[in-house]
Amino acid sequence: MIDVRAWLLWALTTLVVASSTRNPLYVVLLLLIVALVGVVCAVGRVANPPYVPLRFAAVAIPLAALFNGLTAHLGDTVLLRLPDWLPLLGGPVTLEALVFGATNGLTLTAIFSGFAVFNQVTPVRDLVQLTPRAFHETGVVLSITLTFIPQTTSSLARIREAQAVRGHRVRGLRDWLPIFIPLLISGLERSMGLAEAMVARGYGAVSDRAQPLRTQGPLALGLFALLGGWLAFLFLPSWKRAAVGGMVVGAGLIIGVLWLAGRAVPRTAYRTHRWTARDTLIVLGCGLTLATVLLPLPLVDRGTLYYTPYPRLTPPAFDPLIGLGLLGLLAPAVVSAGGQAGCDCSLRSERESQTDQNSGQEQEHG
Amino acid sequence: MIHFDHLTYTYPDSSQPVLVDVTLHIAEGEFALMTGPSGAGKSTLLRCLNGLVPHFTGGRLSGSATIAGHDPIAEGPQMLSRIVGFVFQDPEAQFVVDRVEDEIAFALENAAIPPDDMCARVEEVLNLLDLIPLRNRPLETLSGGEKQRIAIAAALALRPRILVLDEPTSQLDPQSAEEVLGALVRLNRDLGLTVVLAEHRLERVLPHADCLVYLPGPGKPVLSGPLRRTLRQVDLTPPLVTLGKALGWEPLPLTVKEGRRFAAKSQTPKPQVSEKQSAIRNPQFAIRNLHFAYDREDVLRGVNLEMAPGELVALMGRNGSGKTTLLKCIVGLLRPQRGKITLASESLIGRETADICRSVGYLPQEPDDLLFADTVVEELRVTLRNHGLLDSPPIIPAALLDRLGLSGLAASYPRDLSVGQRQRVALGAVTITRPQLLLLDEPTRGMDYPAKRELVRLLREWQAEGMGVLLVTHDVEMVAQAANRVVMLSQGDVIADDLPAEVLTATPPSPPEAGGSALSSLFAPQVARLFPGTGWLTVEDALAGLNAGVSR
Repeated sequence: MIDVRAWLLWALTTLVVASSTRNPLYVVLLLLIVALVGVVCAVGRVANPPYVPLRFAAVAIPLAALFNGLTAHLGDTVLLRLPDWLPLLGGPVTLEALVFGATNGLTLTAIFSGFAVFNQVTPVRDLVQLTPRAFHETGVVLSITLTFIPQTTSSLARIREAQAVRGHRVRGLRDWLPIFIPLLISGLERSMGLAEAMVARGYGAVSDRAQPLRTQGPLALGLFALLGGWLAFLFLPSWKRAAVGGMVVGAGLIIGVLWLAGRAVPRTAYRTHRWTARDTLIVLGCGLTLATVLLPLPLVDRGTLYYTPYPRLTPPAFDPLIGLGLLGLLAPAVVSAGGQAGCDCSLRSERESQTDQNSGQEQEHG
Repeated sequence: MIHFDHLTYTYPDSSQPVLVDVTLHIAEGEFALMTGPSGAGKSTLLRCLNGLVPHFTGGRLSGSATIAGHDPIAEGPQMLSRIVGFVFQDPEAQFVVDRVEDEIAFALENAAIPPDDMCARVEEVLNLLDLIPLRNRPLETLSGGEKQRIAIAAALALRPRILVLDEPTSQLDPQSAEEVLGALVRLNRDLGLTVVLAEHRLERVLPHADCLVYLPGPGKPVLSGPLRRTLRQVDLTPPLVTLGKALGWEPLPLTVKEGRRFAAKSQTPKPQVSEKQSAIRNPQFAIRNLHFAYDREDVLRGVNLEMAPGELVALMGRNGSGKTTLLKCIVGLLRPQRGKITLASESLIGRETADICRSVGYLPQEPDDLLFADTVVEELRVTLRNHGLLDSPPIIPAALLDRLGLSGLAASYPRDLSVGQRQRVALGAVTITRPQLLLLDEPTRGMDYPAKRELVRLLREWQAEGMGVLLVTHDVEMVAQAANRVVMLSQGDVIADDLPAEVLTATPPSPPEAGGSALSSLFAPQVARLFPGTGWLTVEDALAGLNAGVSR
């Protein structure tokens, strides 16, 4: 099982790559990589993983090409000419504008595919667990919301049936009241019941002292420094260095305070995802890709990232080193194909229970 | 272990105390059963055990409580969570997350138990409640009994010394209830856990309990003590105990097995060959060869059913046998693939639900889903308005409320009422059109004995006026009292259709995978099991039959 943080980094890296190049060769390569990762990692989770991005591409690419072709009248290779009296559309339709539009569509598809794969491989609940400990309550509320959604859906279906059997028909907006009111009331009643159940299970026993004044003070100071720095950066060109410094100090202060506040929340996690060598490999892969795309490395021609079809269509250049760098994004597929999932808490304890079953129960409960 | 001394409690916004001068002692390791009519304060007293009353509810409390050496009133529910595990009525309403293991770990995470210890404890409760195969399942895919066992596991994760359960089986079918009860008995016997269980239906629990706490209602003193002694002073008892008390059986039998020793000594008539049910000449309501499938999975396979006017037919069967599906097909909420349904010679197939429900009253399992108006009487008016009958109602709302025993509550807010009263408001809302046929889906869930008696009386009145009643229920004692005929469904087929005395006392010809003999014991009332072959179903039957035997 790949750690959700590694997946998050992977998704962000695809986003960064997709938005830093307009070279269709690189974007196509990125798309292929993402599709491969989707097929390898999301298999068995969703019926047809690559299908959704394909459908997206089938709509996004022609639409973007058509829109740009009809509205951007740049480029030398004129295909046809629309009458000039047409507002916005009037003028030459060029091959270059169509290609530029299609490349944009391709980029959008790459971003969409990256997040589609991310969505398929990471359960929402695991993401919720990334909530910093200082925001523990927010995390609990989020996870309750996730539990409430299916409950509310089934209760909506039940209420609709119950109202139908007393002759109720939904014709207009007002007719939703007899459905909405019981839904709302039962939701409120369930919330009260849940609150009671949580208190009975000890929730809130240790979090009463969260957010004391000594954390609130530095937090406000950090926010002030961050905001002030940002404003100075925008409006006072001569203070640029000091402004950047202010922002760094402010951000550091906020992160530090939240970290300290999180440590003060006495709470442990059941599903402790262990960071494994596979996750490290994915981070290294993403690091490689990010370095090739963002850093001025020797021998790498980053100029090939910036491709434009205007004024006359030329074949895009391709630097094999950048291509190699993009292959770093294949890391999740490589480590997943390499073997079974890693060891998480439940698996570990299952093995333990097999070896020493029933030990320690009697005296604990007796 | 548990000591209450002169405890008196009044809810906020209430002038009358719900608990008056309660003094109670429960020893360590006991299985205590708490019972009493609805509204007598059982839930309130249970919540005093872990400090939810008064910390969560507010209100005024006097007297003192000591729970395993702690004072719940001073320390509050969060602190008491390590001593008292609490399980609520509706398992779904207490879940915080959506996976089995995470739900159990929730309390441990909040108590900052170190991860290794946490894994061990989760493993321990999964083992205790036989939940290992379910550990990775999403909660929404589980049955009611499984969910309630997970709620118990979650309550036990903090290793409390007392487990408190507020009617944990009232929302469950008999099999699931048995499953939950079995788990509780094991916890009590094997681990010595003190269990305090509030329950309406005593027949299942009595054999396992050590002591009884009876809350007779406002103003009357709480009775408590050893089981048999306290049972003698209580009038809400299951048929076996009622019969035992009437016949002076000593010691009072708590299980059918114990009762049989006395029953064998009493003179019972020779088994009579009962006359076979004759075919209904002019059925008011008929279903012929009805087929229904969800996603190609057959739920109903050629169901046939006929009902005469004024007949009460009980539709029984295990969970998933197609009972609720059949009711939904009748009122048009589901469209059957094949078959005919006719009421007074008119076909119901293909008609809109709202249209069908003018002549068919249908009370779904959750009466609360119906209720949304501000007053009880308004609920009835809403139905009339829906059907365009407000100006010429078939029954005057006030008259129906009077009949339902709700005339004093016409202006009350429906959701503030007790379970039994809410059930009757919902019943009013679906019968104000004076339907020819009434369909009831598990109407006695969560009801106490008096509320059930009241429902039986009401149904008898309506039957006398010619209303047919199709009653889906697991409640065999209710069927024994009220039904004219019993139809048994199994896997979408009618496997028995006869007089209650025939179906409820014989082993129905069930398929082997349904567990033939287990089925018969599940669907036989206590009296029928006590006097097999007599055809007696209720305490009244048995007393009348035994008296006749003596006088002969």
